[in-house]
Amino acid sequence: MISLITGGSGSGKSAFAEKRILEYANEKRIYIATMHPYDAEAFAKVARHQRMRKKKGFETIECYTDLKNISLMRADDILLECLSNLTANELFEENGAKEKAAEQIMEGIRKLSYLSENLVIVSNEIFSDGIEYDRETEHYIEVLAQVNREVAALADEVIEVVYGIPVYHKRR
Amino acid sequence: MILIIGGAYQGKKAYARDLFGGSFIDGAKCPLEELFSCRGIYYFHEYVKRWMESERTLEKGTELDEVLANQIIQQNPEVVIISNEIGCGIVPMDAGERRWRELVGRTMTHLAAFSGEVHRVVCGIGTVIKQKE
Repeated sequence: MISLITGGSGSGKSAFAEKRILEYANEKRIYIATMHPYDAEAFAKVARHQRMRKKKGFETIECYTDLKNISLMRADDILLECLSNLTANELFEENGAKEKAAEQIMEGIRKLSYLSENLVIVSNEIFSDGIEYDRETEHYIEVLAQVNREVAALADEVIEVVYGIPVYHKRR
Repeated sequence: MILIIGGAYQGKKAYARDLFGGSFIDGAKCPLEELFSCRGIYYFHEYVKRWMESERTLEKGTELDEVLANQIIQQNPEVVIISNEIGCGIVPMDAGERRWRELVGRTMTHLAAFSGEVHRVVCGIGTVIKQKE
């Protein structure tokens, strides 16, 4: 089962994704963290998410780039959070995949789907503010949108979380 | 409590008027305390910005979103709240803008959990995305 969970900033998508994966109630649960903290605000954000996951039995693996080569044994359930950070890392970090970002992220996601019974993937709705950004940022938006579409095609369900409320765009 | 949400200029106010009548207060201008006694409020996202910028001391370990949401739930549980969804863009460079977006999102998430109904308006058309039995 592959679930894509998306939503805007502060929409409750992370809490929803965690709830989703806990419903499977399996033994081995892996959380793949993609946010590369570089300032106080990012550290606070990571800490907030760690607090949310506390006592939920996740093993956390950090993966900022190169998801397809993540060293990972089989797991029952995997929660990957999130595509927006992973895409930014692949595009903007020194050792990122750059122009192959979308392709390589998808390769990584297919690998995770083979390695797990249930895969829950969190992404981000960043496409509706009507602002035109610089070329680099526009390119980022376009690549993330492409990754979202490809993951949605692969997924069994696509859920947009709106203030904690699940809106189903695809269910099998 | 009833929430009516959606993007900018989607006809949320007119939709709310059709369903619940008029006499809502303007969240961009009203005195802050009016939220806790009004029948309904529009531009709630603007209210949140003004509320955030008004001086307030917080007890340690409390979050702003919980403070605001709890106060509304306790003092005006029947209110109709109309708010723009503002969290669906690129994360802003400005720290204050980021805080505002997250505060609106988290406050609305608390309120949505409490609400009996949540309507989402797109192109003037409302869809009920939550309805308590």
